[in-house]
This record gives sequence, structure tokens and C-alpha cells, in this order.
Amino acid sequence: MSTAAIDTRTEDRPARAQSPLGETIFRTLCFSAATLLMAALAGVVVSLIIGGWPAFQKFGFGFITSTAWNPVTEDYGAAGPIVGTIVTSILALIIALPLALGVSVFLVEFCPKRIARPIAIAVELLAGIPSIVYGMWGLFVLAPWFATHIQLPIMMDFDSHSLIGRIFSGVPNGANIFTASLILAIMILPYMAAVFRELLLTVPSQVREAAYGLGSTAFEVVAKVMLPYVSKGTVGVIMLGLGRALGETMAVTFIIGNSHGFPHSLFDSGSTIASTIANEFAEATSDMHTSALIALGLVLFVLTFAVLAVARALLAGNKN
Amino acid sequence: MNDIATPISPASPNIAASTEAPIMTRPTGELVLEARNLDFSYGKTQSLFGVDLPVERNRITALIGPSGCGKSTLLRALNRIYDMYPGQHATGRILLNSEDILSDRGSLARLKARDGDVELNESGLDTSALRARIGMVFQKPTPFPMSIYDNVAFGVRLHQKKSKAEMDVIVERSLKRAALWDEVKDKLSASGLGLSGGQQQRLCVARGIAVEPEVLLLDEPASALDPVSTAKLEATLMELKKDFTIVIVTHNLQQAARISDHTGFMFLGKMIEFRPTAELFERPQSPRTRDYVTGRFG
Ligand SMILES: Nc1ncnc2c1ncn2[C@@H]1O[C@H](COP(=O)(O)OP(=O)(O)O)[C@@H](O)[C@H]1O
Ligand SMILES: [Mg+2]
Repeated sequence: MSTAAIDTRTEDRPARAQSPLGETIFRTLCFSAATLLMAALAGVVVSLIIGGWPAFQKFGFGFITSTAWNPVTEDYGAAGPIVGTIVTSILALIIALPLALGVSVFLVEFCPKRIARPIAIAVELLAGIPSIVYGMWGLFVLAPWFATHIQLPIMMDFDSHSLIGRIFSGVPNGANIFTASLILAIMILPYMAAVFRELLLTVPSQVREAAYGLGSTAFEVVAKVMLPYVSKGTVGVIMLGLGRALGETMAVTFIIGNSHGFPHSLFDSGSTIASTIANEFAEATSDMHTSALIALGLVLFVLTFAVLAVARALLAGNKN
Repeated sequence: MNDIATPISPASPNIAASTEAPIMTRPTGELVLEARNLDFSYGKTQSLFGVDLPVERNRITALIGPSGCGKSTLLRALNRIYDMYPGQHATGRILLNSEDILSDRGSLARLKARDGDVELNESGLDTSALRARIGMVFQKPTPFPMSIYDNVAFGVRLHQKKSKAEMDVIVERSLKRAALWDEVKDKLSASGLGLSGGQQQRLCVARGIAVEPEVLLLDEPASALDPVSTAKLEATLMELKKDFTIVIVTHNLQQAARISDHTGFMFLGKMIEFRPTAELFERPQSPRTRDYVTGRFG
């Protein structure tokens, strides 16, 4: 039997070798596809640099440090949107991280098997909901609720000159840096929880059993063994979440208030790089305005690329 | 603690005539741990059938048998690590110093099912404390992602509050007993993951004995090790038997013959023959045992 099988295989060889042309075409196609992707990427970067060049040339380093963003006087400084982007993303991360950790630990360690899978799938589906849905919900539901039930009471209870008063000052319409961060947190939560869960599942079951075997409680196993085991990957997950939050456009544009100044408080309206571009591109009439927006795009590209690159490196490090 | 109230007379050899009934020569000394008529199931598949295993104090008991015969399952039942997995359960009796540790079933499984947040159950048996009395070392080394020192101190910290000085003493003593001290004494704060496979395995032994368990269970601890590391580990175990009781699963018959006092041969989830090691290897009674130890198996 087995000899026959081997014989067939050897007989097959010449037949296959007869079509080197097909092989060549297949290889060329794959190679072209890969090349095309790299070329497209390079094209994006190059056109961003060319498009943004006038703005960089005119404002120099001030493009990043100045807070002026005035289409009328043609004076562009992107510190407001850049800080808005970083602050909302980091706030979102601070809110989402402990929750994502809780969800994934629950799913891996405590949740009865029967419902763990459905919940894990639901979490993954949530990660795929279009951001405009979150944005609308944020604008129509979260913002008004937040304004009446949280922002107003705080503003009435604290003197506007006290420290707390200043941290929480702002127009009480619920469209501000903080609510934008909340929406972002809700959006990156399922994503982070899903990746975290995958990560926790990489802890060998014998390591878990060894920890239980020494008499640890479930909490001790999770806190002292499993989390340290995936610590490097955890940093990677954080960076991935951050990368997502940085580039998120629609939901944030809906709810951040879209003012260009440097945000002065948590409840101040503001803007992010992505929301500024989305808002103004259609109306950009002057060349300098367009160039400034493209330059903003390049800044976002670099920021996101750096974060994702670090995330990749850290996740790869955890696998060894 | 020292006297066990077992109703079965421990003295006379009790060799069954039939090949189906287990051939048992019970140890003459005091039993620390004993499985009686133990059944175990993974969900619907039963993997152990009425297994008896007497474990004598300060001796090494070896379990041998073809793979899949239930050796690992038996160890997992003995320290109730299977409680972590709902659906797995054991029936029969497991006596630790003649206290039945099976009488309460699945306290941790219940914990996992979320209808209670305490591990202390009605019968007063605390499974996490129980596991500290029965240590386990696995086939693949399982160092935790922390320093060598913290690995050894891990179990002790869970159960007792110790000063730094006291802990230093415990860590040093455990590492010495596990014959690892000389190799790591200058790098106690280095990660346990950086050690070689053999060192990691001895680190796991040190971690296991640091909590002074009564029994140490080892599941094929040398199968991933080179011959030199294996020899070191064997020497360590021979030394450890002065203070501890050891049950070791091994697929290496020479190893079982070299280091153990009693050997149990298992086959298809049953204990076929359990006797003093020399007798079992030199004059196996069951034809199955004979085939296995002479290498004529399957
Ligand atoms: N987690 C599990 N789920 C279901 N069946 C299992 C599981 N682990 C082991 N078994 C079954 O139990 C039997 C005994 O396995 P095991 O105790 O691992 O054998 P050994 O250690 O002697 O090689 C085997 O038939 C195996 O297929
Ligand atoms: Mg096994």
C-alpha cells in the first residue's frame, strides 16, 4: 500500500514540473501584490510630505508647538489638535485598560466555560461596530446626559477659581475632551479585551496548575503569575489600543466640540488631529490651509506608526 | 499525625490469583497518603477504575505503565488539581494521614461556578491549604516569571508571614535540598526563566519543598532533561526522601528501578501490580507487568 503511494508521488513529479510557466506567473502575481502594497504605502508617505511641505517650510517647528490655528490670518499651529489627540487617547486608555483587564481575566479564569465562548465572541463583535454609531450615541445620548448629571452639578458645587473648578470648567453641553475620551474608551475596550484574552490564553496550563498546586487562590494566580507572565505583551496591547484611539475620527469629531484652541480643562471643548482634518478638508480653500491639514495628517501618521511599531516589537518579545 | 487508623492490615502480602484483580504487596511502614478504590472521569470518559495506591512515608513510590494508562490522572487526583476543571471528578477515597480529602467534592469547581466565594467548604477542608501539603512538579519545568528567590518564596508567602531573614533561610535551605544552591547562589535575583531546563526543574522542586509538603508528586520530571541533569535530579530525590515522601511517574524503567522503593504498574486505568520495586522488576507476577518490564509490550 505505502509503496504504491510513494510510486504515485514519484510519477507525479515530472507532470508537475511540466508547467514552470504557471509557477512563474503565480510567483510574479504574488510578488506584484506585495510590491504594490509597499508602493502604495510609500506613495502615501511621499505625497503627505510633498503636500505638507509648504506648511512645514513656513511655520517650521512652530507648526507643532504653536497653538494658533487661524484660517483667516493663514496662521497654523497644531499644538491644540496634537495635544487633544494625545490627551483623549491616553485618557481613553486609562479608563479602558482596567476594564479590559477585568473582562479578559473574567473570561479566562472565572467565567463558566459554557458562557465564556459566547461572551468572547460578543466582545469581538463589539470591536467591529462602525465608529459613527458610537459617535451618534455619544452625541445624542451620552453628551446630554453627561452635561446635566455630571458637568452641571460639578460646576455648581465648585468655585470656578478653585483648582477643581478650573480642571472641570467648560461649556456645559457635554461635548468636550472628557466625553470624547469616554467614547474612545468604550470603543477600544472590546478590542483590548479581545487581545488581552488571547494573551492570557498563552499562559501554559501547567504554569497555572503549578501556581494553584502551591495553594494559591484564583486571585493570587492571576495577579502574581499570569499577569507577570504576559507583562511584555500587556504593554503591546496598551500600545495597540493607543494606536486605535489616536486615529479614531468619526466618533471623536461628533463629540469633542471642535474648537481649535489649546484645551484648558478636562471639560473644555477641543479637537484632535483626525477631527480637525475631517472637519476642515472640504472647506479648505487656500493652498496653505490644505497644506497645513496634510501636514497634520503626516504628524498623525508618524505618531501612529511609532506607537504600532513599539507594540509589535513588544508583542513579539513576549512570545519567546 | 504519625499513627494512621487504617482498618486494613498493612503487613501480609496479599497477592491475588486472578490476573484481573490487582496484585498488591502493601508497604509495611506507615502510609502518608493512600488512594482506595479510586475512579476518575474527565467528563464522560472514565480514566481510572478502582485504583488503589498506598504511599509509604519517607519512601519513593514510582508509577510506571504505557502512556495513556492514567498515571498523570492519578497524580492530578491526589492533590485535587482537577478541581480547577468543572466536569472532572473523582470518587472513592483518598486518605492523607487517614483524613479523607475526597469527601468534599469540587469545592473549587463550585467556586468557579460562582455560587460562593470562599474555598473553605462545609467539611472544613480548605483545598488551597491541602494543595500546599501535597506538592507537584510537572513534566515541563514551570518556573514563574519572577526571580529565582521569589520563585522559591512564592508558596511560603502565600501561607505564612515571614521576615526577610527567615525567608532567606527558607530559600537557601530549599535550594540546597534541591541541589541547586551552588549553581544559583550568586544570582538569586535573576529571573527563574533564564536557567537551563534541568536547573528550572530543580527550581520547581525547591519551590515545591519550600512549603514543607508532606508528599511531593512528580510527573515525568526528567523526561525533558539531558542525562547529566537527570542524574542530578535523581540524586536530589534520593536525598529528599529523608524528609519527604515522593511519588514519581516515570516512563524510564531504569529510573524507577534505581530510585524507588515501591513501584506500581498501571494499565488501562487500573493498578495491575503494586509491590516493592526489586520484586516487581525481578519477579513480576502479572503477565502484563512481565511484558512491560521486559520490554515486550505492545
Ligand atoms: N484533559 C483530559 N480530558 C479528557 N481525557 C483526558 C484528559 N487528560 C487525559 N485524558 C485521558 O485519560 C487517560 C489517561 O491519561 P493520562 O493520565 O494522561 O495518562 P499517562 O499520564 O499515564 O500517560 C487517557 O486515555 C487520556 O486520553
Ligand atoms: Mg502523563
